[in-house]
Amino acid sequence: MLKVTNLHAGYGRMPILHGVDLAVPAGEITLVLGPNGAGKSTLLRSIGGFIRPTEGKVSLDGKDITGRAPDRMVSEGLRLVLDGHRVFPQLSVRDNLRLGVADRSEDYAARLGDVFGVFPVLEERLDQAASSLSGGQQQMLALAQAFLARPRVLLVDEPSLGIAQMLVPTILNFLRSWADKGTAVLLVEQRIDIAVPFADSVSVLRGGKIALSGPASDFTDVGEIERVYLEGAD
Amino acid sequence: MTIVELVLILVRGLGQGAIFALIAMSLNVIASASSILNFAVGALMVLAGVGAYMILPSDPTLFGWIMAGLLIALGMGVFGFLQGGLTLIPLKSSVEQHSWLITTMAVSIIIGAGIHLFGGSLAFRVPSPIPPVTIYSTTTPTAYLLLIVLAVAVYLCLKWFHSRTYIGLAMSAVAQDLDASKAAGINVRRVQLASFSLAGVVLGLTGHIGAPVINISADTGIGYLLSGFTAAVVGGMGNNLGALVGGAMVGVLSMFAAYQFGGIYQDSVTMGLLILVLMIRPEGIFGLAAARKV
Amino acid sequence: MTELTSHDTAARGSFPNVSPLWVGIAVVAASVLIPGFSGNQYWSYSFTLVALYTAVAVFQNILMSEAGQFSLGQGVIFGVGAVTAASLTTLFGYPYWLSAIGGFVAGLLMGALYAGPALRVQGYYLGFVTLSAALVFPQLVIAFDSVTGGVNGVPVYVGALVTPIVGTLTPLSLLAIALAVGALSLHYVFPKTRLGRKMIVSSVSTESAQSLGTNPGVIRFIAFLIAAAGTALAGILYVPLIGFVGPTNFRVDFSVLFFLAVIVGGQGKLLAPILGIWIVYLVPNVLLADFSHLRLMIYGLVALFVMLVFPDGLVGSIEKWWTARRPADTRTSFSLQDVFDALPETAGEGAASQDDRPLVSVRGATKYFGNAVALDGAGLDIRQGTIHGLVGPNGSGKTTMLNAVSGFLKLDSGAVRLFDHDVVAMPAWKRARLGLARTFQTPRIFEALSIRDNIRIGAEGHGGAQNSGFMEALATRDLPWLDRNPSLLPHGQRRLLEILRVLESDAPVILLDEPAGGLSAEERKDLARLLVHFRDKIGKTILLVEHDLSMVWQVADDITVMELGTVAAQGAPDEIRNDANVKKLFTGV
Repeated sequence: MLKVTNLHAGYGRMPILHGVDLAVPAGEITLVLGPNGAGKSTLLRSIGGFIRPTEGKVSLDGKDITGRAPDRMVSEGLRLVLDGHRVFPQLSVRDNLRLGVADRSEDYAARLGDVFGVFPVLEERLDQAASSLSGGQQQMLALAQAFLARPRVLLVDEPSLGIAQMLVPTILNFLRSWADKGTAVLLVEQRIDIAVPFADSVSVLRGGKIALSGPASDFTDVGEIERVYLEGAD
Repeated sequence: MTIVELVLILVRGLGQGAIFALIAMSLNVIASASSILNFAVGALMVLAGVGAYMILPSDPTLFGWIMAGLLIALGMGVFGFLQGGLTLIPLKSSVEQHSWLITTMAVSIIIGAGIHLFGGSLAFRVPSPIPPVTIYSTTTPTAYLLLIVLAVAVYLCLKWFHSRTYIGLAMSAVAQDLDASKAAGINVRRVQLASFSLAGVVLGLTGHIGAPVINISADTGIGYLLSGFTAAVVGGMGNNLGALVGGAMVGVLSMFAAYQFGGIYQDSVTMGLLILVLMIRPEGIFGLAAARKV
Repeated sequence: MTELTSHDTAARGSFPNVSPLWVGIAVVAASVLIPGFSGNQYWSYSFTLVALYTAVAVFQNILMSEAGQFSLGQGVIFGVGAVTAASLTTLFGYPYWLSAIGGFVAGLLMGALYAGPALRVQGYYLGFVTLSAALVFPQLVIAFDSVTGGVNGVPVYVGALVTPIVGTLTPLSLLAIALAVGALSLHYVFPKTRLGRKMIVSSVSTESAQSLGTNPGVIRFIAFLIAAAGTALAGILYVPLIGFVGPTNFRVDFSVLFFLAVIVGGQGKLLAPILGIWIVYLVPNVLLADFSHLRLMIYGLVALFVMLVFPDGLVGSIEKWWTARRPADTRTSFSLQDVFDALPETAGEGAASQDDRPLVSVRGATKYFGNAVALDGAGLDIRQGTIHGLVGPNGSGKTTMLNAVSGFLKLDSGAVRLFDHDVVAMPAWKRARLGLARTFQTPRIFEALSIRDNIRIGAEGHGGAQNSGFMEALATRDLPWLDRNPSLLPHGQRRLLEILRVLESDAPVILLDEPAGGLSAEERKDLARLLVHFRDKIGKTILLVEHDLSMVWQVADDITVMELGTVAAQGAPDEIRNDANVKKLFTGV
C-alpha cells in the first residue's frame, strides 16, 4: 500500500500542495478528483519522484521512498503514467512496449499476450510508429508499457484527457481488472462523472488540499463535489 | 577544370567529408541523449591519431593495424566514459547551464596541450598498411576510401543500435521525451554516459583509420570540431543521415576552396557555409524542428 | 539615475561597507602604478597588458551576464582593432591617433557582424559561429598579407605613448588604467540604467521584454556594439604597448581566454574579470613563465577545476559562502497596505466613459499546432472598463487566445483589433506600445534588479513618457522593501509584484494569465481586491484567464467560456453560472 503523509510540493517557488494525506491500498482504485489547477498532476509527480517534496512523506509498504529519482521509483515497483498519452512518437509500438522493462525476463511474452488480449489494436499496429496512433491508442500504449513493468503501485494522470469518449470505458475497465489482480491504482481525473463508478474510494483535491474524501459509494450524489469545484472549499 | 582535377577534389573531398560526418555523428550521439555538445570531439579524434602514431611501427602489418584499431577504439571508449562522468558531475546539483560547455572545452584544451607536450607543434605522420590506389590517374591514399566506408558503416550501426538494443532505444527515448523516459524507469544518467563512450569509440576508429590523412597536431582539434559541427548543422542537428550528407558537402566544398583559392581559405569557406545555413535554414536540410535556442 | 547612491548598498551579498567597484579600481590602479613608480620595466609592462585584458574581460562579462550573449570570439574584435591600427600606422603611414580611430571603427564593424547571426541564433550556435571567427581570423590575416603584413606581422612604435613620465610609468599605462577603470565603472552603473534594465529583461526572458514594449533584437545589437567598442579600444592600445602585431598574437585560445576568465572569476560578478585574468593569464604566463610550455595545460586544468569545484566561479562562490555564513533574512515581503495607499485614483474618465466600444476584439481566431486545433474560430470582445473572465477546461485554448491578443502567437486566420487598430500583423512589442500589458503563468521576476526596478521596468518600454505615477507615489513613502532583492519574496508576492509592474506601465488594457495560481486564500482575496480597485478606481480594462472559478464569478463583468478552441458560452456571470452546458464542462455532470 502506498501512503502519502502531509505532502507539500510545488514548482520552483510556486507552492501547489499544502499538506496532502492519502492512502492507496493494494487491489483498489483510489480516485482523486479536482478542478483545473487543483494540484492533481503535482501530486502524482511528487509521488513519482519528478518533484522533490518540500515536506511530508511517501512510503510504499512501510518503506520510506520520499524524493527518490523516478527510475529508482520504478525499480521500487511504482510506475507513473503521465498525462497527455505520452509515448515515444518516433519509435514503433513494439519498441515502445520494449522500453517498459529493462531486462526481458522469461514471462515477457506472456505479459505481452495479456496486453494484446485487452488492446488487440496494439498487436495489429506493432511495427508502426507510435505517432501514427490515435490519442486513445497512444493512451493504451502508454498504459500497456507500464503494465509490462508489473508495478505494485500504478499512478495514472487523467487517462481520459484528449481521447475519444467511446474508448474511455475500455481504458478504465483495464485499470479495474489491473487493480483486481492486487495492484494499488491511484487515478487522477478532472471530470466527475466518468471515473467514480470504477473507483473504490474518492478524494477531492482543491487548492492543494484534500477537500473531501470517502468511499466511492458515498459519491452517488455529485452535488457536493460540484460545490467544491465551483465555489471553493476555503 | 579537368576531369582529373574534378576526381581529385571529389574523392579527397568525400574522404575529408567522411571525417566531418563521423565527428558530426559523435556530436549527435551525445547531444541526443543529453543536449550536451561535446566541444572536445575534434581533440578526441586527433588524440586517437596520436594513439595510432604511438602504437604502430613504421611498416605495420594488416593484422597489427587492425588490432591497434580495436585497442584505440576501446581506449577512446573508456576516455569518453570518463569525460562524460566529469562533464555530468556539476550538472547534478548546479543549474549552471554553461558548465558542460566549459568542462568539455577545458578537456579539449587539455588534450591539445598534452599533445603539444608530447610532440611539440609538429604534425605526426602515421603510416598506412595499405598502399595508395590509383583512381582516374590520381593517386589516392586508401585512408580516404576507408573513411568513407567507415562513415557509412557507423551510420548503419548507429541506426541498428538505436532501434534494436535496449540502451540504444533508451537513447532515442531520452531524446524524444525526457519525462516519459524517466517515468518508464530509464536511468537517464547511465544512458548519457553510454552515449559519451559510444562517441569515444566512433572517434577512436575515425582517428585510427584516418591517421595517415588527418592533420594530427596539438592545435588542429578545434578546426575538425568546427567542420564537424558545420556538417551536423547543415544536415540538421541530431540527424545522422543529415550528418553524412552535410559531411560530404562540407568536405567537397572545403577541398574545392583549397584547390581553387589555397588551403588557407578552407576554414573560412566552412565558416561561411555555417553562417549561411544558420541564417537561411537553421534547422538544416533534414531537420524538422527549428534551431534550438538554448 | 539621480537616486543611484540611495539604494546601491542594498545589493544582496556584497561585502559590508566596501563597494566592489572601489576594490576593483584600487587593484587595477595599484597593480600598474606600483611597478611604474618603482621603475620595474617587466612588471609595468605585464600589468599594463593585464589591465587591457581586464577591460576586454569586463566587456565580455557585460555581454554574457547583462545581455545573455555567448561569444567565444571577442579576441577577434580586439585583433581587428589592433591589426587595423598597426597596419594604418606602419604600412600606410598615417599618424597613430588617426589609425587608432580606424581600428576602433573596424572593431565596431566586427561587433556588428557578430550581432547579425545573434539576431537569428542563440546559445551555443552563436558560440560556434564566434569560435569559427576566432579560428579563421589569424588565417585571414596571413592570407591578406598586402594590407596586414601577413605572417611576419607589423612593428609599431609610438614614442609619445611609451616614453616614461616617471619611473617606468608611461602615458600608455595611464590610458590602460583609465580603460579598465572605465569598463568596471560602466559595468557597475549599467544595471542601474534604463538600457541596462532593458538588457537584463531581454536576456532573462525575450517574451517579457516584448510584453514591456522592447524589441529584444535591437537590444542585442546594442549589446554587441557596446562590447565591441570597449574591446576595440583595448585592441588599439595594445598596439603601441606590445610594439608588434601579427597573426600569432590572436590564435583561437586568445579569444577563449576572455571567456574562460569571466567563467573562472564568476559570471556576472563585477570583480570576476580581474580575478579571472589574473588566474588564467597572469599566473601561467608571468608567474610561471619558466613553465611556458605548460601554459595551455594550466589554463585548461584551472578552468576544469574551477567548474567542478566552484561552479559559480571564484567570486561567485566566495560571495555565496559569505551570504550563507551570515544569519541572513530568509524572507522578505512587501506590505500590500503600502501599495493600496499609493495606488492612484484616476477613476473619473475610465468609469464614466464606459461606452460599449470594445477595446479588444477578436473574430474567427483559428490556430492549429500540427493536427491539433488550439483555436477553432473563437472570438471575444472586451468592453472598456470591465473585467472579462476567460475560463475553460485544460487545453480549451484560453492561453492560446491570450497569446493571440498579445501577439506572441501568429493566428492561421482571424482578426484581432486593439483600440480600433488592426494588429494581426503587428509584433508583440509594438502591441505592448499601443497600451497592452500582460503577466505570465510563471511570474517573470528579475532577481538582478531590486523590487523597485522590477516595478519600474513596467513603464520603460513605452518610451518613458507615460507612467502611472504609482512608482513615484510609492517612492515618496520611504519604504525599505523597495530596495530589497526580490529573490527572497514568497511566491504569492512575486505574482503581486508582476501585477504592480503592469500597473506602472499605465497601459489601459491588462491581460492576466492565471494570476491566482499558487496563491493562498488570503492572497487571492488581496488579488481580487487589487483587480477591483484597478477597474473601479483607475479605469483599467482587464482580461482575466483563470482556473479559480469562484474568483472569476466574484469580480468579472463578462465571462467567456471556451471549449476545444471554440466559445461555449458568453455573457454575464449569472447567466453563465446557470448554463447547464457550462456546468457540464467543468464537472462532467
